[in-house]
Amino acid sequence: MSSFGVVLLLHGLALAASTAQPLPGIAIERRLADRYRLAVGDTVRLTPAADRPAARYLVEAIYQPKADPATALRGEYQIRFHLPELSRLLGAADRVDRIAVLGRPGIPADSTAFRLNQPAFGYRAYPSERIASESSRTFAVVSRFHRAIGVISIVASAVFLLCIMLLKVEERRLDAAVMRMIGISRATVFRAFVLEATLVAAVGSGLGVGLAAVAGALTNWVYRRRFETSLVFSHLSPDIVAFGVGLSLVLGVAVGALAARRLVTARPLALWRRAG
Amino acid sequence: MTWALVVRSLFRHPVRTALVVAGIAVAAALLLDMVMLSGGMERSFSRMLLSRGFQIRLSPKGTLPFDTEAMIPAITPILDDLRADPDVERVGPVLATSLHVRVGDSLLTLVGYGVDPAGQGLYELEAGADLVPGDSTGLLVSEPAAAAAGWQIGDTIRLQGRLDPQSARAEAERVVTVRGVVRFLYDARGQRSVGADFRVMQRLGRFPDADPASMVMVKVRADDRVDSVAARIARTHRTVEVNSVAALVVQFRSRLVYFQQLSLILATISLVVGVLLVGTILTITVSERIGEFAVLRGIGVRRARVVRLVMAEGAVLTAAGAIGGVILGLATARYLDAILTSFPGLPAAISFFVPERTAIAKAAVAVFVAGVAASGYPAWLAARAPIAETLRADAE
Repeated sequence: MSSFGVVLLLHGLALAASTAQPLPGIAIERRLADRYRLAVGDTVRLTPAADRPAARYLVEAIYQPKADPATALRGEYQIRFHLPELSRLLGAADRVDRIAVLGRPGIPADSTAFRLNQPAFGYRAYPSERIASESSRTFAVVSRFHRAIGVISIVASAVFLLCIMLLKVEERRLDAAVMRMIGISRATVFRAFVLEATLVAAVGSGLGVGLAAVAGALTNWVYRRRFETSLVFSHLSPDIVAFGVGLSLVLGVAVGALAARRLVTARPLALWRRAG
Repeated sequence: MTWALVVRSLFRHPVRTALVVAGIAVAAALLLDMVMLSGGMERSFSRMLLSRGFQIRLSPKGTLPFDTEAMIPAITPILDDLRADPDVERVGPVLATSLHVRVGDSLLTLVGYGVDPAGQGLYELEAGADLVPGDSTGLLVSEPAAAAAGWQIGDTIRLQGRLDPQSARAEAERVVTVRGVVRFLYDARGQRSVGADFRVMQRLGRFPDADPASMVMVKVRADDRVDSVAARIARTHRTVEVNSVAALVVQFRSRLVYFQQLSLILATISLVVGVLLVGTILTITVSERIGEFAVLRGIGVRRARVVRLVMAEGAVLTAAGAIGGVILGLATARYLDAILTSFPGLPAAISFFVPERTAIAKAAVAVFVAGVAASGYPAWLAARAPIAETLRADAE
């Protein structure tokens, strides 16, 4: 069975009917079967163009195609034919769009492609890696866009965090003044406030990771239903968690330390007055 | 007096105020970008399709224009019928096919468009002369094609069509003269394209005997009759797909649903961040200054005035942030647009972020209203504080 991702116009569909001659078989993807309530053994009529005669085929299999981000969002349906049957339907005998070549172990794909291209007329050989790289250009663009949006979000959340931590520590002016007046050293006061800022940042980061996990699960649920695919749209990897938590902690501790330094360098009486 | 108090209060903590304004500005910038993204693609796509005034497209049944290699066969009777329609002002058939030219000892592959000079909606002339009806030896070239082949206006070249993949020999050839340089409206960046008379391109392209067309563009005399004319064409010609520009925009929207939902989610998050920022900062500020508000109430200032005072503070913060956000948002939109418009195969005329006054006003007003609303809670806290107890607690 050939695996051509060709979309054909469904000209008419009929439920199973007994036929005198055996019909050519096709395999249809699960979404198409669900959409038109087709089952194995049903007969379908297919045509490559609306004004061309339709041919009858027998549904021999229903399959679940591999989740492919390149096609999932287009919502097209796929049918697999035996190669000669598709050629006959399209009126393009002895023609193929692509040929997959499996090289012998140990021989680099680049050199095989180079050799195949030397005498080539009518085809061009590419190593699979190059095709993958070319066909993933769209996703590279999306990835760059996500990174740019991510940077803006990080800047926004960093400023937010700065404000909150600054206020949180400044709110403790009275406590700082009292601690200093009863003889607690500057270093101890400083450490106490930094520790407090660290705890706040850690709890906030934990909550953030939980929120991200819920948002990611919701995103996957919505988009998988929307595009009828098993693709993963949102993936919360350990790297991303480590980056998010690390950034929050670094920012939280740095701002906490900055604000705490302002508190411990001020005179206790001045702090007392300002707190009042 | 209210505004003087507001300004003095904000300048009492300049670092804090600057940080809040910066935070609101970043949130507002993200919101503006997302508002532009949500509507920009559609507007840009619609503008591109309507740039030459053709409101209806006919394409092979089950496809969208230029979406597949499928063609509409036997196009001449369809064109005759469309031209006879009293509601139709102009009809522009288009055939897209692969062409080749020899440049030195190598073969350059081009996208060839067959157009009817009397009703073309596919390009805009940039230099030289346009094709005239009946010009079967003229050729229009895009800038990238001219640059790749080294063509000048007036050059004579040999176009090759239907190249045999086995022998690399062309089944059809045509000698043409470059008349002008054009910008093809639906071309991707750097696409090497040429345009010639529709019938010339039919002879050079695949299935010359099938009288094919890739698409037909139809210009209706009255805009309010577009839908009815499209429906009538669809009823009469059942073997073609008939779409008005509005219907194509709907199809386009369904393909870009991801970006629209992303923009909605991020816009909501940025608004929430803005609200939280203003609400939190003002709540902490109010609790710091609760004694001050109690004094104001004690000397006879009414509750409504205290509420106005706090809300005005919120309004000033968000207004300053919104102004900064618009500037920042427009700058980041250019950068983000440059990223997204590098999608392979995307027409160069498409933009994702279209800076329009309505989008800017929407984002600025949304941030302002959200910011003022967020200051409602701290304002209520300031106004409802019991005077005597607060002053006593403050004194202690």
